[in-house]
Amino acid sequence: MIRLENLTKQYGKLKAVNAINLHIKPGEIFGFIGPNGAGKTTTIKMMSGLLSPTAGHVTINGINMIKNPESAKKNIGLIPDRPYLYEKLTGIEFLRFTADLYHIPSDIFKKKADHFLEMFALKGRANELIEAYSHGMKQRLIMSAALLHDPPLVIVDEPMVGLDPRAIKMVRDLFRTLSENGTTVFMSTHTLKLAEEICNRIGIINHGNVIATGSLEELKEAASIGDSNLEEIFFRLTDEGI
Amino acid sequence: MRDVISLLKPRLWAFTKRGFTFHSGLKSIIFACVGLVFWAGIFMAGYRVLAYCSQAEDIGEILTGKILSMAIITFFSLLIFSALLTTLSKLYLSRDLNLVHALPVSADKIFLSRWIESTADSSWMVIIYSIPIFIAYGMVYKTGIFYYMAIILTIIPLCIVASSISALVIQLAVIILPANRIRSIFVFLGLIAFIFLYVSFRMLKPERLVDPEAFSTVLIYVQQLSTPNSPLLPSTWAYDGLTAARLGNIRTALFHITLSISSAIFFILVNLQIAKLIYFKGFSKAQSAMIRLFRSNGIILEKLFFFLKPPVRAFVIKEFKTFWRDQTQWSQIFLIGALIIIYVYNFSVLPLEKSPIGTFYLQNLFSFLNMGLAAFVLTAITARFAYPSISTEGGAFWIVRSSPVSIRSFLWIKFFIYLFPLLILSEILIIATNLMLHVTPFMMWLSVITILFMTPGVVALGIGLGAAYPDFNAESPVQSVTGFGGLLFMVISAGFIGVIIILEAGPVYTVFMSDIRNFQISNLHWAWVFGSFFTAFIICILAMVVPMRIGSQILGNIK
Repeated sequence: MIRLENLTKQYGKLKAVNAINLHIKPGEIFGFIGPNGAGKTTTIKMMSGLLSPTAGHVTINGINMIKNPESAKKNIGLIPDRPYLYEKLTGIEFLRFTADLYHIPSDIFKKKADHFLEMFALKGRANELIEAYSHGMKQRLIMSAALLHDPPLVIVDEPMVGLDPRAIKMVRDLFRTLSENGTTVFMSTHTLKLAEEICNRIGIINHGNVIATGSLEELKEAASIGDSNLEEIFFRLTDEGI
Repeated sequence: MRDVISLLKPRLWAFTKRGFTFHSGLKSIIFACVGLVFWAGIFMAGYRVLAYCSQAEDIGEILTGKILSMAIITFFSLLIFSALLTTLSKLYLSRDLNLVHALPVSADKIFLSRWIESTADSSWMVIIYSIPIFIAYGMVYKTGIFYYMAIILTIIPLCIVASSISALVIQLAVIILPANRIRSIFVFLGLIAFIFLYVSFRMLKPERLVDPEAFSTVLIYVQQLSTPNSPLLPSTWAYDGLTAARLGNIRTALFHITLSISSAIFFILVNLQIAKLIYFKGFSKAQSAMIRLFRSNGIILEKLFFFLKPPVRAFVIKEFKTFWRDQTQWSQIFLIGALIIIYVYNFSVLPLEKSPIGTFYLQNLFSFLNMGLAAFVLTAITARFAYPSISTEGGAFWIVRSSPVSIRSFLWIKFFIYLFPLLILSEILIIATNLMLHVTPFMMWLSVITILFMTPGVVALGIGLGAAYPDFNAESPVQSVTGFGGLLFMVISAGFIGVIIILEAGPVYTVFMSDIRNFQISNLHWAWVFGSFFTAFIICILAMVVPMRIGSQILGNIK
């Protein structure tokens, strides 16, 4: 579903992402973890077409992001870490806007909008302007919008920021369900427990380099730690012990 | 006072510690040069008008005095209006206010620091561009050095008084209005500005000043000119101070200057006391979510644009809704509405028949100038609404970039959204003013077609340069247009309009003269006529295509 080949991003002298290679299969939940400034968000931005790479390739569902960005983007539902939205639209209007961008017919939109607004507990506030929403509500609205067009790939940057415990549980279950139904989830997070709980594979990035990828067991092996959790593996591999 | 200075420091640091690069240096030089050209233009125009009027027998001094008084009243009104808008944003709506109010600093100190910023922001431009008028006045009458010192001593208190009155009005308005209506102040301010501009212009009847025959006797004319302004107005103290300084009456000048300075201090003290009592209460109220002035579910828009492709429709409807629901836009719409009405009104009162030059010739000359003026009005409106439309996407621009719509298509959608209303407006403007001028059918058609081709060029320049110089962090659309890109747009657009008008003026003059003087136009002349019009057409096409392409390339590569 996702293929990153020698993906590089350079800002002046700083190499934010250094020739990374990743291959993520359909239906996988892939956790992408790393310290602040390691290159997670830059990688996500290149994968979702928000940023053009300095070198390398991004292929989404077999489509080259650089050559065919519009077609590649149709396969992605993006949930960024900061919920910037059109504040002067209402929740339902924003969903309608998104539906139009992805050519979702009106009748299907109505059913899906109803479903997601209900699921994300936004139904009662759908006709209010987004500027009146809390951070968590905006985040939930973005999630609804990202899933409207049934994307085969969901890219999430810090999914749990601003969400209440109920929403966190719901999102965790949602990602599992999506994965069971064949949707790939690429998730960047600092919540190591979440990554440990739901990810099939985890990639650790540090100083722009992917330093390890694999299942939790494989990472334990790479870190040469016996019975330990992801937090210990993370500190060992990134050399950032407390 | 230390707290106030500390609160002002981030702004000062942002201003003084900007990294200097070749690019930023070049930008500053271009900014300075354009500013200097405008400054010199105002000075030269002011000097010529004042020098010309000062030579009028018996009434020269009264006439120049009247012009100076009108200029001061205009500056004062501009200062008040600009301060009202800036103060509302600075004191109650800025993004960083939550952080500032969380600091262990009293509300009146926060108020003072914000008010100082607001005063500087709303006054600097008026100060810079009013000074050449005052200098011109002094130079016409060859005044001494005291007059030039008096300019500074007069204009600064005038700015402080205007800003203080505005802060007082805003503080009280925020307390009186319901919390969810506070942002509607922008709408009411716009409406007030509209009425104020319209009524004051109708009352001034400036066309009568150049038409002494409109007054039954010279005495009434002179009386009309020399009517003193209200002594309660701060603009009158400024005027009296300056005229006294010009005449060398230092004592009288100092009296009026002291009056201005003492009232400025008085207003600051009143504001501080009021701020102690109500500023935080008002800020707290302003945090509530506002309710919409007009409610609509957008079904009309959906039906109206049913024929568009879904992604195009999505952007069109989004643009309409976000524009109309942003009440800060309304004050600008009212203001521009008033200026357009005044513009059209001017044409209806032009005393063409009294001119010694042939009416037929003059009507068509005015029609030609009108084309250029209408295009400049179009530039101003494009600068205010179309140019910032990319920047106003703000943080939500990720939605556009991650959507399956290319940046190129996105820009063209924006272009068409703004093209149609601006084209309709420009055509109405040009047709209405041409009808008032009773121009020939040829000039009417020429104007309509020229505007038809120039408008896409101006709008594309606005959208293209807006995309090339986006400011996604701007707190208001005005903030983005006051940057380098906005200036570049104004300069290039003015150049584009100038070139088109020049290319058309020569051939049209030849055709007119052949009609009036009954001579045949040679084939070479015809070739020149067609060549000029063809070049104008090509430039219009290039003005539409090139900026859009550049804008789309730059915006697509933005980090």
